[in-house]
Amino acid sequence: MKFISDKNLRKWLESLMGIGSLIAPMDLGPGLTLFSQIRDPGDVNLEYETTPIPPKDLFFPSSEALFRFSPSRGYEIPEIDGEAFLLGIRPCDALGIRLMDFPFLSEPADPRYERRRRRTTLIGLGCIKARPECFCTSFGIGPFDASNADAFLIPVKGGFLAEARTEKGAKALAAAELEEASIPIPKPPEVPSIDVGAVREVALSLFNSPYWERLADRCLSCKLCAYVCPSCYCFDIRDYPIRDGAERIRSWDSCQSPLFSRQASGYDPRQTKASRLRNRFYHKFSYFPGEFGAFGCTGCGRCVRYCPVNIDVREVLLAILRGEAKVA
Amino acid sequence: MPKGSDPFLPLLAEVAEVRDLTPDIKLLRLSLREGRIDYRPGQFAILSAFGVGEAPFTFASLPEEGLEFAIRRMGTVTNALHNLGPGDLVGIRGPYGNTFPLEDYEGKDIIIIGGGIGIAPLRPLIHWFIKHRGDYGSLLIIYGARTPRDFAFSDEFDAWAGAGGARLELAIDPPGSPDWRGRVALVPAVVKELKPSPKNSIAITCGPPIMIHYVIEELRALGFSPGQIVTTLEAKMKCGMGKCMRCNVGDKYVCKDGPVFTADQISRLLEAF
Ligand SMILES: Cc1cc2nc3c(=O)[nH]c(=O)nc-3n(C[C@H](O)[C@H](O)[C@H](O)COP(=O)(O)OP(=O)(O)OC[C@H]3O[C@@H](n4cnc5c(N)ncnc54)[C@H](O)[C@@H]3O)c2cc1C
Ligand code: SF4
Ligand code: SF4
Repeated sequence: MKFISDKNLRKWLESLMGIGSLIAPMDLGPGLTLFSQIRDPGDVNLEYETTPIPPKDLFFPSSEALFRFSPSRGYEIPEIDGEAFLLGIRPCDALGIRLMDFPFLSEPADPRYERRRRRTTLIGLGCIKARPECFCTSFGIGPFDASNADAFLIPVKGGFLAEARTEKGAKALAAAELEEASIPIPKPPEVPSIDVGAVREVALSLFNSPYWERLADRCLSCKLCAYVCPSCYCFDIRDYPIRDGAERIRSWDSCQSPLFSRQASGYDPRQTKASRLRNRFYHKFSYFPGEFGAFGCTGCGRCVRYCPVNIDVREVLLAILRGEAKVA
Repeated sequence: MPKGSDPFLPLLAEVAEVRDLTPDIKLLRLSLREGRIDYRPGQFAILSAFGVGEAPFTFASLPEEGLEFAIRRMGTVTNALHNLGPGDLVGIRGPYGNTFPLEDYEGKDIIIIGGGIGIAPLRPLIHWFIKHRGDYGSLLIIYGARTPRDFAFSDEFDAWAGAGGARLELAIDPPGSPDWRGRVALVPAVVKELKPSPKNSIAITCGPPIMIHYVIEELRALGFSPGQIVTTLEAKMKCGMGKCMRCNVGDKYVCKDGPVFTADQISRLLEAF
């Protein structure tokens, strides 16, 4: 472990900004911290708790042009170049990016996502405080889990303990003035854990349970749960006419939307709110693990925090695990 | 051309020919400007009407016959595609999806059961079975449409019925077409009446979900095992590559694991269809 003192932090951030763009948590208003492009290192807030929106949009923007096309000029594709540093990413959000790697990097890889992924160095940040909704330890990570980051920082008195995990991370740290760490690694905060091991098998037996109707009764189909989720990645693609051509835009979408799976004939395999809400949980805890071997949740607790009607993924998990969902 | 590494960039094709098949189905024949698309029957492509959008369509011809699509007007994209004329530009990406395992059907009697635009994926099969008559047993084609004018490819019916050992049975839905001499019945009822034998045969069906549902029921009642019944499923799709998460039916993607499924596979899908 190395040590970056508070004094050296600013210099380090300045030198990172000399290499590429720096994206880090920044206060945008009272109580609102979001990952933003940093122009002044003084704007970086490394004491934030989880941001409302995870930094997934750095790789998979909420809305982006796939291309422009016109018969006279052919295709124009927005460039993605330069280096980027994503600083201060929490372990749950770093896991979220790893989870999105599965669909986006599997054959055929999504070229935009891949390019953004390749150009970005993830500099993780340990959590010295857990929020009441946090349950990341259920998914094999924890407040100091560095495994999905290129480099990792743990806040300590007077600065940060720093560790490089990959070559990219070492390169980023090389731009800092590092001291040998003399401070021991502090104890991470306690984060409650749900033993999710059996959830996949149990869920399969509860597919037709009335539990889903009951749960969905209060769901508003507002899609907030998906937009704030670091591992949700449903998308839509639409064309917009522009002068002498077309722009094709991809944007975030959610399987909670009533028209999401409705076919042209009017037929919809998921006609009810219950079947859509069930799909969200089944995708995360049954289909995604079946396809990629990992649960599609990071335990960040954002959906718990922001769902306007308090639909709580932890409660759903416990209900499934207890087989409770079977009871009408 | 930037195609190659970017799976979202369609190849460019020109409309070579447009033909009215029915009042709401047109045949689009495309010719690629560059590049090539190798596909097998059952697979589909995603066509672009630039500025309007994309939608998936089955290849309605065998590869050696050229790129043909039978497109039913349903909404925005299909409307735009219907408005194209020779020389107009279309984007095409694909092929996507799985295929009919035609070799596995060799030596078997073939029953093809189509309804409406569901004839699109079945047409290359019909052409295939006619071309390779010797490799397969008998061929029974049941095709239903709303009215006599709604049969697509009626100019090919003589060829379909005329192929050695082939039989074509047409049916319209509601009565009220005075000139119609054929059957007036729903497709599942025709299956029930004709009682094709399950012995050493394969039944391949495509049409509206409700039709597929009852056709499978009738075939099952006749003794067909779920593995002998093959269908193609439709789903809403955006990417065609198992990424946009729009076409999953339980843990299967229609775009990657389908669109061709056996009734056996469908019965194991977690979501009702
Ligand atoms: C694998 C596959 C293969 C296919 N092959 C073929 C093929 O070979 N030929 C073919 O013709 N089709 C085929 N389809 C179907 C085809 O993709 C759809 O018909 C097409 O996507 C419709 O696109 P659209 O933009 O024209 O319709 P949309 O604009 O999406 O509209 C669809 C219809 O739904 C109606 N609608 C939309 N929203 C509502 C609402 N809220 N309430 C009431 N009505 C509403 C619209 O009015 C319209 O009639 C295939 C589909 C799949 C998945
Ligand atoms: S945030 Fe809550 S109310 Fe909104 S769609 Fe998700 S579960 Fe339903
Ligand atoms: S499902 Fe909820 S807890 Fe899990 S990763 Fe998504 S937002 Fe976080």
